[in-house]
Amino acid sequence: MRTIITGLAFAASIFSTLATVGPAAAAETANIWVRADGSNFMPRIVDAFNKGHENQVKLDIIPNAEIIPKYGAAAAGGTAPDALSLDLIYTPSFAAAGQLEDITDWAKSLPYFNSLSPAHVKTGTYKGRIYGLPFSADSSVLIWNKKLFKQAGLDPEKGPTNWAEIEAYAEKVNALGGDTKGFYFSGNCGGCNIFTFTPLIWASGGDILTEDGSKATLDSPQLRGAIDLYRSMVKKDLVPAGAQTDTGSNFFAAFAAGNIGISPSGAFAIGALNTQYPDIDYGVTFLPGKDGGWSSFAGGDNFVVTKGTTKIAVVKEFLDFAYSLEGQTILAKYGSLPVRGDIANEALKDLDPRYKIAAEAMAKGRTPYSVVFNDLINSANGPWNQMVNEVFFGEDVDGAIANAQETMQSIIDSAPQQ
Amino acid sequence: MTSIAAISTPARRRKLVGAGRRQWIGLLYVAPAVALVVVFFIIPLCMTAWMSLHNWPLMGARSFIGLDNYWAILRDTRFWNALRFTGYYTVVVTIAIFVVAFPLALFIERPRQMTGFYRTSFFMPAVIGFASASLLWSWLLNVDSGLFSPAAFELGLTEKKVNLLATFQPAFWSIIAMVVWKVAGFTMIILMTGLQSIPPDLQEAAMIDGAGPLARFRAITLPLMRRTLALALILSVAGSVLAFDQFYIILRGGPRNQTLTAVYWIFNQSFVSFKLGYGAALSMILLVILVALSLIQLRLLRQPEGVD
Repeated sequence: MRTIITGLAFAASIFSTLATVGPAAAAETANIWVRADGSNFMPRIVDAFNKGHENQVKLDIIPNAEIIPKYGAAAAGGTAPDALSLDLIYTPSFAAAGQLEDITDWAKSLPYFNSLSPAHVKTGTYKGRIYGLPFSADSSVLIWNKKLFKQAGLDPEKGPTNWAEIEAYAEKVNALGGDTKGFYFSGNCGGCNIFTFTPLIWASGGDILTEDGSKATLDSPQLRGAIDLYRSMVKKDLVPAGAQTDTGSNFFAAFAAGNIGISPSGAFAIGALNTQYPDIDYGVTFLPGKDGGWSSFAGGDNFVVTKGTTKIAVVKEFLDFAYSLEGQTILAKYGSLPVRGDIANEALKDLDPRYKIAAEAMAKGRTPYSVVFNDLINSANGPWNQMVNEVFFGEDVDGAIANAQETMQSIIDSAPQQ
Repeated sequence: MTSIAAISTPARRRKLVGAGRRQWIGLLYVAPAVALVVVFFIIPLCMTAWMSLHNWPLMGARSFIGLDNYWAILRDTRFWNALRFTGYYTVVVTIAIFVVAFPLALFIERPRQMTGFYRTSFFMPAVIGFASASLLWSWLLNVDSGLFSPAAFELGLTEKKVNLLATFQPAFWSIIAMVVWKVAGFTMIILMTGLQSIPPDLQEAAMIDGAGPLARFRAITLPLMRRTLALALILSVAGSVLAFDQFYIILRGGPRNQTLTAVYWIFNQSFVSFKLGYGAALSMILLVILVALSLIQLRLLRQPEGVD
């Protein structure tokens, strides 16, 4: 998901560990890590914090793919940072490994605890205790190219609201011919598809995992319906041939090139398109269900505290600041959705109105819960990615689903129990 | 190793003082190299062996489990499949490299016009890292914005753009082509030095005796190059058994996990599934296999050669 997606947009520029912000002061200094996805907003908010507080935060930005192994190695060597902005889907496995500080009491004492992003809090909770609180947020949405819609004779202000409309509109745009294609998705990227494909299933009433992540539930009519939609668009040649082997590197770039009609994407795309591709005129809408309704993948980072850190006071002070209106506004301005529902509108009020759709998607978004998310979903060689590639482009849909169901269940069953 | 021992034994019979000093000085000379090997090879190797006896997650508590990781490997069919694919790849790519490198070596061996230019251009890809070469080729192979598929389509060779990476055969042979492009120049240089070490008078004598070019190649060139061939072979096999970058960067182990190599599987177990202990055990197994392969090939070196 965001790891892979925005990573490619930002990671290139920040390939080495860098950006040490804030001078050491007389007061205490806490060390915080963030993955490269946060390289836009994190230095800003840390700067703002350091200016107004006696205690200081020292920030390290780590490349997306390396933050987990690097943190593991640092934790083993006793040099882990005091806190970490962690891709929220990893919170259960980190908590299960006994690596994180239990912050339940403090979290529940926050007056706005109940307005914090529910998806974050859910993944931040392990066996009834809270180990992670929401920090940054990104939700999946559907984006469409208004210029191409107009050329194809469609209403450029109206995005698709159900599956039939997605296919019909994509077909219309595709008919423009040349390099223009109707639809784009990364067909060989597990993270991209959990982010943008599963909401189609959720919005239609299905799911791929049970609520607690203990059972894989792939064999559902909703999943098959969503597969049929994608297969049909692939068969009609509405999707560029490269989608079949795209491991995520084109997830954003394909739409940004300006010749794709519709593409599922994320809130991050709003900021990226506005700043890097100001010429693209695009609309943002929800990822719809088969006959309407909508859903979204609520992604982003949870803020977690390393077990046994001595700087917990500074860390809490920093998180308090991030949750203030000032902090939420800084986050929103530099590429993350607000994570506090009660002041989200206020934080977003001066920004691109399309953020509001993404923020609404975030508020009602869902996140699968699993301690083996990496194995199941994100791994390029895992069962989820293998299945999506086969069912979208291969011959044997039934076999692929059955195989993935079995493999996922066996990975879940053999996961370490603590 | 044996040759070093053979040289140092007779030295001991000489005057004790001188010999002792000489040995100390010798030790001093090799000390930096020994230190490097110990710090960067022996110690990490021992740590890997130690880790392989543990349930060693990336985070959290580790526990000693004896040989359990090794027993688990026996049942790990996906590892053995990866190993089988690695073997297949090694055989194919080694043959392909030699088929290309040998004619190139024969071509550039003797000085002629523009030899320098040819040598340089054939060798050039060898100075690029595998990762950079893979990134370059993953663009060349891209169906929408790359070179091969769009070019074939524009030239009318294919009806529509063919996604070379979508099915096993074209994807596999694309990787082979890329590796040959990248490595053949290096093998060529090794083979060239072997060719140049063959005394020209042997060839001339054979020519006077009436041997044709094919007979000379078979009876003189090949036997006299056995050591060079063995060296090139060991380098090629060791490199191929450890293949990872190109499959990770260009194919991500796809299409449909058909190009997962042994090292790729070790990487996945260690850094995707966070099972470092199991990854270490797999590494030990791969090390044993590689050492065995190299020993077999080194035997080729030991056999006496006709003229030396």
